[in-house]
Amino acid sequence: MKFQIEDVTVYFPYEHIYPEQYEYMVELKRAMDARGHCLLEMPTGTGKTVALLSLITSYSLSRPGDRPLKLLYCTRTVHEMEKTLAELRLLLSHVPPDLRRSLLALGLSSRKNLCSNPTVLSAASRDSVDSACRRLTASWVRAAAAEDPAVPTCSFFEGFDRAASSSNASVLLPPGVYTLQDLRAFGRDKGWCPYFLARQTIRYANIVVYSYQYLLDPKVASIISKEMQRECVVVFDEAHNIDNVCIEALSVSIRRQTLEGATRNLNRMVQEIDRFKATDATRLRTEYNRLVEGLAQRGSLPITDAWLANPALPDDILKEAVPGNIRRAEHFLSVLRRLVQYLKGRLQTENVETEGPVAFVASVNSQAGIDQKMLRFCYDRLHSLMLTLEITDTDEFLHIQTICDFATLIGTYTRGFSIIIEPFDERMPHIPDPVLQLSCHDASLAIKPVFERFQSVVITSGTLSPIDLYPRLLNFNPVISRSFTMSLTRDCICPMVLTRGSDQLPVSTKFDMRSDPGVVRNYGRLLLEMVAAVPDGIVCFFVSYSYMDGIVNSWNEMGILQDVMQHKLVFIETQDVVETTLALDNYRRACDCGRGAVFFSVARYF
Amino acid sequence: MAAISKVAKYKTTVKEPGIPGVLKMMEDVFTFTPHDPRSAMKLRVDFRNIKGHKFSKDGSKQALLNLTQDSEKGGGYIFEFSNFTERNDCRDFVGKVLGKFQALVSKQNDQPASEKSAVSLEQLSTIEMERRMKLLREDSELQKLHKELVIGNVLTESEFWATRKNLLDDDSDRTLKQRTGFKSAMLADIRPSTDGRTNKVTFSLTPEIIHQIFAEKPAVHRAFLNFVPSKMTEKDFWTKYCRAEYLHRTKNSVAAAAEAAEDEELAVFLKHDDILADEARRKIRRVDPTLDMEADLGDDYIHLPDHGILRDGSKETADSENDLARRTLAQDVNRHAAVVLEGRALDIELGDTRAVAEALARSKQESSADTLDENSNLERQERVSRMTEIEDLQAPHSLPYAPLCIKDPREYFDSQQVNALKALGGTGAGSKTIDYNLNTEEAYSYLMHQISEVKAQGLHNPIVQSEVACKVLSGLTQQISSTRYHLGKNPQESVLDRLPERTKDEIMLHWTSIQELLRHFWSSYPITTSYLYNKVLRLKSAMTDIYQKLKAIKDVQSDFRHQISLLVQPMLQALDAAFAHYDAEEHKHSKKNGAKPNGFVQ
Repeated sequence: MKFQIEDVTVYFPYEHIYPEQYEYMVELKRAMDARGHCLLEMPTGTGKTVALLSLITSYSLSRPGDRPLKLLYCTRTVHEMEKTLAELRLLLSHVPPDLRRSLLALGLSSRKNLCSNPTVLSAASRDSVDSACRRLTASWVRAAAAEDPAVPTCSFFEGFDRAASSSNASVLLPPGVYTLQDLRAFGRDKGWCPYFLARQTIRYANIVVYSYQYLLDPKVASIISKEMQRECVVVFDEAHNIDNVCIEALSVSIRRQTLEGATRNLNRMVQEIDRFKATDATRLRTEYNRLVEGLAQRGSLPITDAWLANPALPDDILKEAVPGNIRRAEHFLSVLRRLVQYLKGRLQTENVETEGPVAFVASVNSQAGIDQKMLRFCYDRLHSLMLTLEITDTDEFLHIQTICDFATLIGTYTRGFSIIIEPFDERMPHIPDPVLQLSCHDASLAIKPVFERFQSVVITSGTLSPIDLYPRLLNFNPVISRSFTMSLTRDCICPMVLTRGSDQLPVSTKFDMRSDPGVVRNYGRLLLEMVAAVPDGIVCFFVSYSYMDGIVNSWNEMGILQDVMQHKLVFIETQDVVETTLALDNYRRACDCGRGAVFFSVARYF
Repeated sequence: MAAISKVAKYKTTVKEPGIPGVLKMMEDVFTFTPHDPRSAMKLRVDFRNIKGHKFSKDGSKQALLNLTQDSEKGGGYIFEFSNFTERNDCRDFVGKVLGKFQALVSKQNDQPASEKSAVSLEQLSTIEMERRMKLLREDSELQKLHKELVIGNVLTESEFWATRKNLLDDDSDRTLKQRTGFKSAMLADIRPSTDGRTNKVTFSLTPEIIHQIFAEKPAVHRAFLNFVPSKMTEKDFWTKYCRAEYLHRTKNSVAAAAEAAEDEELAVFLKHDDILADEARRKIRRVDPTLDMEADLGDDYIHLPDHGILRDGSKETADSENDLARRTLAQDVNRHAAVVLEGRALDIELGDTRAVAEALARSKQESSADTLDENSNLERQERVSRMTEIEDLQAPHSLPYAPLCIKDPREYFDSQQVNALKALGGTGAGSKTIDYNLNTEEAYSYLMHQISEVKAQGLHNPIVQSEVACKVLSGLTQQISSTRYHLGKNPQESVLDRLPERTKDEIMLHWTSIQELLRHFWSSYPITTSYLYNKVLRLKSAMTDIYQKLKAIKDVQSDFRHQISLLVQPMLQALDAAFAHYDAEEHKHSKKNGAKPNGFVQ
């Protein structure tokens, strides 16, 4: 369908449109005309995503120029990203071909989800995949490989590097929509690294879909989203808990394991420094000279060398020379040792303690002799040292990185944070498990650069109520703030509240009743009746994992589970993500093929 | 047909232990000689006295063969064999012999009925005959029908089979055989039984359970292949397995750990299943990306260790140092459902555990060989886009249509027309051949055109008269409500089950014969030859017989009179319709004949 909203021709991939969708688009267009931010609430299932994509794409198509409007679409999860890209693909098939030829859309995720190199992929976690990649692609590894062919490198990255240097980087990826799977397939065909191809291409793409962190977490954003232009529309979809993401991005916690790991890291670095002193002393001296000249960062690093960036927001990073007393590597390490020692002391507390950053910094200063400025430069100094020492197994050094992130944050911010020390987990008060948390209280801190940098920011979700809370939480002035209702064209929902079972006994998941065998049995009978009558799929929700575990076990004992299995296959969500993903996939297949299934869920992940 | 001899036990009832001896089968006689020469149980029976044979299912407890003398009395000669293959040899032999005798009988019956059909019957190959016999043996209902109609001289042998060509088609028979999947019930979750007096618990395993255990627990499967029979006997293996299951069931992790430390084979069952973990890792890469939550872990930088907010209740790191896996019920249930969904890929008979284990290993190798290719990627893409579509906003999809596939169109149409064609005696010169070769597109569009025309104008002669439809509907409603009143709500129980066994059988038999007769009756019209005319006459008289019998059943005074009459009513109505048609045709015919007095049959 094609229609006009004021001066914009909107391409919409369906024959019909909900009135809310149209309204939504109109409001969105006004916000974009005003180059301001907006806040839109529309119920789930009314096609928010397609309305957003369709209007913003059509808007940017209607205003071609030398810098066309770019869409940065942020989703919370990777599977939402895939869904968005699928909708985008549908939308683009309804855009006239000559316009379509100018559109490039892609999703971006981590190396773990994009890498094609089998040796790298065999690593288990994201961090180990990252460091396995660095081991093959860091600039010094590649330099060594140029001299000695026995040094292993990544053929995919080399292929990409050759292609990127020989031709214009903007034409490496032909127009179209690329999901992660498509990027992998494309990379495999060409022999290029999909991850770095995507990283490179997001600068030229019209639409980029990635997760919140890539814009909100300064550690990630300053590497990946640094070069995004101002003419961008940023969309945060499902943004009802965006404040949590903002807060988490600036929070650090330190446990005993962290401190122990950090001590190990420091020992290892001392060894490395000794080794370099013996073999290549000039390298450390060069670093020192560079720091004297005031260059904490080495300018633009090769794309493969960048690691997690400074945890402080770009505007708050001090552009100064590193203080003199931590310029020498040994001095810096001894500062870190003192800091770790101090933190160890603080963890040995019997009571819960709370402190502001200012008081904490003062106490660090008086007891460990580390002043605020030194703390503030911890991250930069560590980063520089690790590059100098050519450390590739970054996953081993996460502990010391955590300590330096913590130091930099408390050195930088005096307001909006607090430090909380808890001696044990309140659920298990007998087991000492002290933790020191630096908690950010101010969600507006992390999102502030996004509001400042980009022309329009759209915050949207199915539930944003109370809608006037969000501008205050995130400290911005939306030009449009609206909430839409839902019109149902057919009766598709039948909510029913059940208070009594078939034996007329009350049923409820109230805490004092839920483990009563009668209640458990009544719920079981209810499920059994439903399962016998409802075709295809049924989802059965529970209030918590522990309750689900208990009730499923008692159904098993009572034989109700076996009766349910006579009618449908049973799949259960567990706390294990892999297991749950497979169960969910199987559940969907069982529904599709007509076998029918019931899914027991707590819906933690959805 | 050569004679075969097997070692078997003869028994007169299933329960008794039986007399060991040798069973010898020859072309028309079988003998049984007991090992013990003093025993009086020597047998020599003519196959002509044997009316049928029954046998226990493969994989059941005993390999039995029962040669029945009289199907009603049920008594016969029961033999138990030591294994199923020997039993099957004898069974097949008996099948062949009986088939031959039955063929003889039906041949004799056919001879006077129609010379023509007898001639054509003799032309039939022996294979064809055997197939017919096999069908009759396998399907007792068909056999009854055959007995009543063919042997009762209502239909000829060829007429009877002409409408069942598809059954005779050997290939279709084979492909149509449905493969059974796994049972939905969790058989692998075996529960011990106690006798209540001692501390002994008993687990019982059947081949079906063992197969499921192998499919759901690859570690057990691997252990079986490795250990049995080189390291331990099969019995020891399963004892160990059950012991491990018992430990797992009691949730006594300390005892389990202690046992596992002592016995490394036992530990295999209690440990974490590494094959499953591998499989999960492989499968997770093929999972639908729109629900791949595992990918989030790889993407989300909030899950950096020690970054973000700890202890808000959502992030719980359960670290178990115990390498004995804490297998939860949820995992078992999920695994079971996944295996059931995958379906069973084995074609071999359950029974021999070793063979099952090996076949499973082979089928696994095959399935792991196929990796994901571009095709599956494309398919997944399509599926994802289908999932994301908003149906409400979409114009209705034009329904995809599958072309009608008739394997052999001529055979299909012939089966309807075969009688008429045969009667023409191959003089098909007069029949025109019209080119009906429309391609599917054209045929489809023509059909659509017709349908839209009907939609626009309505039917000139409605297929169903509205009054008739109304009558049927109200009749049905009444009947349903009355049966419901009588039966209550139990959906398993049907009206038939409440009738006395004999009446029920009788009604069922009449029902099938009526169906058969009516099918032949209506397919004989229009009557073009004297052959068809004769056939209709025969059919009519048979139908009249049944009509009388049905009437008799209906008029019997009993508690179920109402129910029976409800059941019989539609049958009678169907027959009435046929009779009415016959009379009308007859009437027309006689009028025409008046013009052609010399009895010319059209």
